[in-house]
Amino acid sequence: MSSSEAHAAAADHPHNPHLAHHFDTIEKQDHAIRLGMWLFLGTEVLLFAGLFLGYSVYRHFYHHTWHQASRTLDLGLGALNTVVLITSSFTVAMAYYFIKKGKTARCALMLVFTILFALGFLVVKSIEYSHKFQEGALPGQFYHFHEVTGPGANLFYTVYFLTTGLHAFHVIVGMSILIWVLARVLKGHFSPTYYVPVELGGLYWHLVDLVWIFLFPLLYLI
Amino acid sequence: MENKVAKSAAPSHGEEHGHGPGRYFVIWFILLAFTGLTVWTGRMDLGAGNLPIAITIATVKATLVVLFFMHLSEAHGSNRLVFVVSILFALVMMLGVFGDLLTRNPMSLPSGAPNFDVSPESHMAPHE
Repeated sequence: MSSSEAHAAAADHPHNPHLAHHFDTIEKQDHAIRLGMWLFLGTEVLLFAGLFLGYSVYRHFYHHTWHQASRTLDLGLGALNTVVLITSSFTVAMAYYFIKKGKTARCALMLVFTILFALGFLVVKSIEYSHKFQEGALPGQFYHFHEVTGPGANLFYTVYFLTTGLHAFHVIVGMSILIWVLARVLKGHFSPTYYVPVELGGLYWHLVDLVWIFLFPLLYLI
Repeated sequence: MENKVAKSAAPSHGEEHGHGPGRYFVIWFILLAFTGLTVWTGRMDLGAGNLPIAITIATVKATLVVLFFMHLSEAHGSNRLVFVVSILFALVMMLGVFGDLLTRNPMSLPSGAPNFDVSPESHMAPHE
């Protein structure tokens, strides 16, 4: 019975090349794709939740030392990177808006802005990292930073490098995905009826922003 | 119930109905304003108040991103459920671990943890 329904539905959209044969309709396919993406984002939340838990436990034990250690991070650069990521989240949302309206050129421009902001974020982050390397504010046994010496001091920088490092890796992955999406936008692969890759690339990028929204105050301000 | 049926029967299918870029601009400005607010309050000395304020502001910002930039406010119920449940499980993990740590005998805690406060008066760090 469902196969005859499928044939009927397929007859409604005979020309849609994006509909895989195992889905009845493009709506069902889009629903499955979005659900899969949200499941993946859920696993990403849990991945970072483990690191946030480690942060919370050590901050609970060593909060005086950690308070001092967080003051050694560059608040100006951290705040700048927050503004950069929030703005990139906005531009990728605009890219999604424009592709839905069929404005390919504007969508491409917004994606270019987003990729440039991602690069800018990584440049600022590498400046911060190189300062920390020079000061010796490094994880574990490599720690030889003299400004903060209490127990748990090196743990702050271990957590700092682990969380921001994993986040920076996500920035690189997100940027690569957006470059791929941009290439397909420029080739004219998307239209107001088919734009799911732009949407999913954007969702991944927003997650990168979400993680930073929590990392920034926890590392730089507390 | 009838409302939902009418919605799904409408030609624009659920998640794809449009709203202008104005909403994105507004959310962007609010997020920037909250970033300024969190930097400002973060540099004040509010004692124990700093952490809840920072977490509250971050949660508000994250909620705005999820609902409007990621369109969860217009998404299918199943997508919302998946994401909310993942956050719920993250909270369960936090509660479980802290439930353990806060009720332990101090002797069983990692050595060299001077700030473990059995009572609020007792957290004097030795290096201060």
